[in-house]
Amino acid sequence: MSAIVAPVWRRRLFGTPATGVVTILLALALAWLAIPIIRWALIDATWRGTTRADCVAGGACWVFVKARFGQFMYGLYPQDQRWRADLTGILFVLGTAAVVFAPQRLRLKAGIAALIILPPLGIWLLGGGFGLRWIETREWGGLMLTLFISVYASLIAIPFGILLALGRQSELRIVRLISVLFIEFWRGVPIIAVIFLASLLLPLILPGGIGIDRLARAVIGLGLVIAAYMAEAVRGGLQALPPGQREAATALGLTYWKATGLIILPQALRISLPAMTNEFIALVKNTTLVLVVSILDLLGIAQASLADPAWVGMNMEAYVFSGSIYWLICFALSRWSRHLELLGRRRHR
Amino acid sequence: MIKALTLLNDKRVRDWIYQIALVVALVGLTVFFVRNASENMVKAGIASGFDFLWRNSGIDVPFVLTDYTRASPIIDLFWVGVVNTLLVTAVALVLATALGFIVGIARLSSHWLLSTIAGAYIEFVRNIPLLFFVLFWYFGVIAALPAPRDSVNVFGVAFLNNRGLTIPLPDAPANFRWALAAILLSWLAHALVSVWARRRKDRTGQDAPMLAIGLVLIVIVPALAATWASLATRWDIPVLRGFNYRGGFVIIPEFVALLAALVTYTAGFIAEIVRGGIQAVPHGQVEAASALGLRPGRILRLVTIPQALRVMIPPLTNQYLNVLKNSSFGAAIAYPDVVSLFMGSALNNTGQAIEIIAMTLAVYLVIGLAVSAFMNWYNARIALVTR
Repeated sequence: MSAIVAPVWRRRLFGTPATGVVTILLALALAWLAIPIIRWALIDATWRGTTRADCVAGGACWVFVKARFGQFMYGLYPQDQRWRADLTGILFVLGTAAVVFAPQRLRLKAGIAALIILPPLGIWLLGGGFGLRWIETREWGGLMLTLFISVYASLIAIPFGILLALGRQSELRIVRLISVLFIEFWRGVPIIAVIFLASLLLPLILPGGIGIDRLARAVIGLGLVIAAYMAEAVRGGLQALPPGQREAATALGLTYWKATGLIILPQALRISLPAMTNEFIALVKNTTLVLVVSILDLLGIAQASLADPAWVGMNMEAYVFSGSIYWLICFALSRWSRHLELLGRRRHR
Repeated sequence: MIKALTLLNDKRVRDWIYQIALVVALVGLTVFFVRNASENMVKAGIASGFDFLWRNSGIDVPFVLTDYTRASPIIDLFWVGVVNTLLVTAVALVLATALGFIVGIARLSSHWLLSTIAGAYIEFVRNIPLLFFVLFWYFGVIAALPAPRDSVNVFGVAFLNNRGLTIPLPDAPANFRWALAAILLSWLAHALVSVWARRRKDRTGQDAPMLAIGLVLIVIVPALAATWASLATRWDIPVLRGFNYRGGFVIIPEFVALLAALVTYTAGFIAEIVRGGIQAVPHGQVEAASALGLRPGRILRLVTIPQALRVMIPPLTNQYLNVLKNSSFGAAIAYPDVVSLFMGSALNNTGQAIEIIAMTLAVYLVIGLAVSAFMNWYNARIALVTR
């Protein structure tokens, strides 16, 4: 084995004298950077124990993460009710799987059914009412909230984004103008400002007396901005379709909506899926901004945990742990998006 | 009756009916929202209008480049925010572009380890939220810096500690105005010479030594002017008094943290754009250029980069606008940009939500439009001229 591998590596790393020098310099720099990090995170780290006092080795104190694991995942959600969050997650995963693996002719119906049943069911399970204990959104938090905001904001953003993209491509001039203005406005302003805006303006523009939940405001705000970005992702797919597709559909006597639903969107969305996944990744990353209106998602919980007097000086541990979770989620999604892109390219050949 | 039906069968008439219905619905919705808002504001006792802008602000700002004090009107506070937003955006743009180009070219290097490290960097920063980096730099790195007493000493004139970076400040800025004038003049001269050189090349085919001329006019003359100005000026060098430094100018830690976060994060995206742009140049171009006898450096400068730039400009524009918008992430660590000063502090003090939100969003939309317009102009200038 080593006899086959070694020459390749020798050529890669020490092919010419210049290559060799660069390799050695880079290896030194890497060692200088990585060795303290590895020592801190693994070798000198404390893994066992229950309190701050157990961490004496000088390395990372993973006891802190262990002790607060529940908070990182669920925020302040009452401990005896956390099964509700788990159940919601499982139902969403099962529902999505059922739609994806349903036989072709049932897939559309299954998808519509899932879209009608799952979102209200999730809100009921998490929020309570009708026999379940009422849990205010103030107590939601952690990874659960990050996922909740991402999923529900994209439930607003994807349909709305598709409509906006169709509007931008429409031959009706006023519809096109309104869509362009809407898209460019939301794409031109910072998301953090939109979250502020949603939390300040939504209660103001609704009739007096109608309260709107803090979390709902953030989700609506995020949903509107991401809709504008989604619209641009979908537009790419729409523009990639040859105009003959719609012309042929119209010639067969299909109405605009029938042609759109049966001919245009199925093809366009398949092309847009990688771009839409990238927008979803951006959405997952941008959910962290709800921190500015004091909603504690995963990063917010990590930040809030720094203020705990029982665990002073755990900044690095909190950041490394929450950062790795974000990284894992986003990295997995981006790999999937790249896979879809390659798949699409192969199909086109 | 029949006439109405035939009218409805006309596609153009139907289209107009749909559009009018849409406009009516939107106008109705807007009226509904505005009426609710004015009712709610009357209930809350807030008068609408922009009069509040000339009221006394009473807000202390830790990082001011204008002549704002807490006695200034609120409109001045707005400008402080705009200036701070622009400042961090401009510095971040320059540094992120430089780092992004380095990482992007390293990613394409034939050296396996170098390209792997660049790839790891790109995958690392692109898949983590920017807010994470902002908080990490602020609470993780800057907060862990030593106290002023044990500052990191940068050549005895600048001091880095957990209260920011203290840098020297010139006592008399007059010399710097002269230096700035000299630099601008020399850049103007460079622009004129390069126009002359291009005309001459079109006429006679002769190359002018533009690299050497550029080096002198763009780098050496400004460097000399800046050196002269800084030598001729007395500097207010910060000195440790008690627990903190006196004198000089303090770059607040929020600025340093936000800048570091913006640069490290954006560089990952710019690197991918650079890689994509260079890879988009067909390899035949490079082969043809070397067949014509061009050396590798000239191939990169005359063949690869001009064509790669054409592919890179549109996504790069997007990234630049993202940096502008992302500079608002400073609000999370109270960097006094326009969002945190105006949409945060001023709004809390006055309650004028609608006016303040409109003004803040307008800042981003106006700058965004200006940047897009400039980049479109630049893009058109370097676009491929086809017959």
